[in-house]
Amino acid sequence: MTPARTSSLALRRRYRWLNLAVVIGSALICVMLLPMRLPGMVLLGVGPSWLLIWLVAWSVQRTSVEGAIAGFILGLVQDGLTGYFPTHTLGLTLAGFLTARIQKQRFIQEDFVSVAIIVFAMTVIAQTMMALQISAHQLIISSSPYPSLPEIWLQHQRIALSSAILSSLWAPAVYYPLSRWWAHYEQVMTPPGG
Amino acid sequence: MFVVRRWWNQYALKTGLVALMVVAALGMRETGGAAIYELYRWATSPFHPGPSRAAMLQSSYAQELQQRLVELESQNRSLRQVVEGDAVPLAAGTPAAVIGRSAGDWWQQIIISRGSSDGIDADDIVTGPGGLIGRVVAVSPHSSRVLLVSDPTSRVGARVSRSRATGYIRGEMGQQVVMEFFDKIPDVKVGDVVTTSAYSQLFPQDIPIGRVVDLDLSKSPAPEVTVELTSPLNIVEWVTVIPFEPKSVEIPAVDAPASQEIIPNRAAEDNLAP
Repeated sequence: MTPARTSSLALRRRYRWLNLAVVIGSALICVMLLPMRLPGMVLLGVGPSWLLIWLVAWSVQRTSVEGAIAGFILGLVQDGLTGYFPTHTLGLTLAGFLTARIQKQRFIQEDFVSVAIIVFAMTVIAQTMMALQISAHQLIISSSPYPSLPEIWLQHQRIALSSAILSSLWAPAVYYPLSRWWAHYEQVMTPPGG
Repeated sequence: MFVVRRWWNQYALKTGLVALMVVAALGMRETGGAAIYELYRWATSPFHPGPSRAAMLQSSYAQELQQRLVELESQNRSLRQVVEGDAVPLAAGTPAAVIGRSAGDWWQQIIISRGSSDGIDADDIVTGPGGLIGRVVAVSPHSSRVLLVSDPTSRVGARVSRSRATGYIRGEMGQQVVMEFFDKIPDVKVGDVVTTSAYSQLFPQDIPIGRVVDLDLSKSPAPEVTVELTSPLNIVEWVTVIPFEPKSVEIPAVDAPASQEIIPNRAAEDNLAP
């Protein structure tokens, strides 16, 4: 085995750990941004869905199973931060799955605008899942603390729209560094000549 | 068998990582995100609000008013003692800074900078400038999560301080909340002050909540009014946490129906406590 080859093996091993750190670190930063309300991050009292932006950035280049698993894990974390019902896992799992299914390379060009559009659509889908859960709770359980259906869907309009607009505007801030890193990572990890 | 082994050789690391992540996320969920909130508090600690000059001037004026209020309260207490016997005074509160807002769009919560190491427990009461703010629902060592009065799942037993008409308040995700009455024809009008009621299990009595701004007394099944909260929930920076033990439900003895007649709404409200 030549020295060049061993050094490239060591490099690849180091990059694997580095990638893990980048993935977990970036997701953690997005989680920490959730309770923050900085100027420019609030529209009608609603902030951007940082975890969903991260999830879309993760899922666009991956398989639908990977997208769904990441969505499920992030959903559990966000449930811990807020409350168990309505759960975020359903919306985020669906969003991760659908984003990966879009097969971006085939249908949409790789650029910020398309990612922003995907984030917009996925935010609306995820928030609709939340509203559906609350509606079901309201319909099934008679002593439900939630307001009547028209009120829920009025709130849904406000939350989904402002969250979707804000998230799609902030999407490049998360997507750009991550996609650059993963492109670089792929380049390092592909064996030379392969 | 061979297929399974090949799959395992290929995906063992990935599967292990995914399992680890799921376990970590489940742990995070069970502990109410305590680790994340601890980290969040540590990371944002340089930006926690300190008192500004204007706020200090304002607070000295407020202190003057408070001192007068203390005097009036003590007079009131001694008069009340003469009339209806001793009442339990509220314990002293812990001041805490608001360091974050709810991490989900369907909740109305705030994150405050004090936790279990400062003696804060779940179910403690949170008040602020303007009156009632909410109730502590989760604590980590150095931060806690407060469910605001404006959350749709929040229920507060309340009464109109002028006429003593009782009901409960539910949040509407905004600065205005809705108060539903137990009586069919409550004595209430626009401008009335609403405070927590003595029958509430989760809140001590007589904490100001807000002011009536709109009436809808023909509403079925119960008449309801809109109440504007006096505490500005979306800009509040400092709050006070008051320790409070939720009252246990007292089941009236069979041979004492008189108590039920005196407090007709007690049973109705007991069912409302979340």
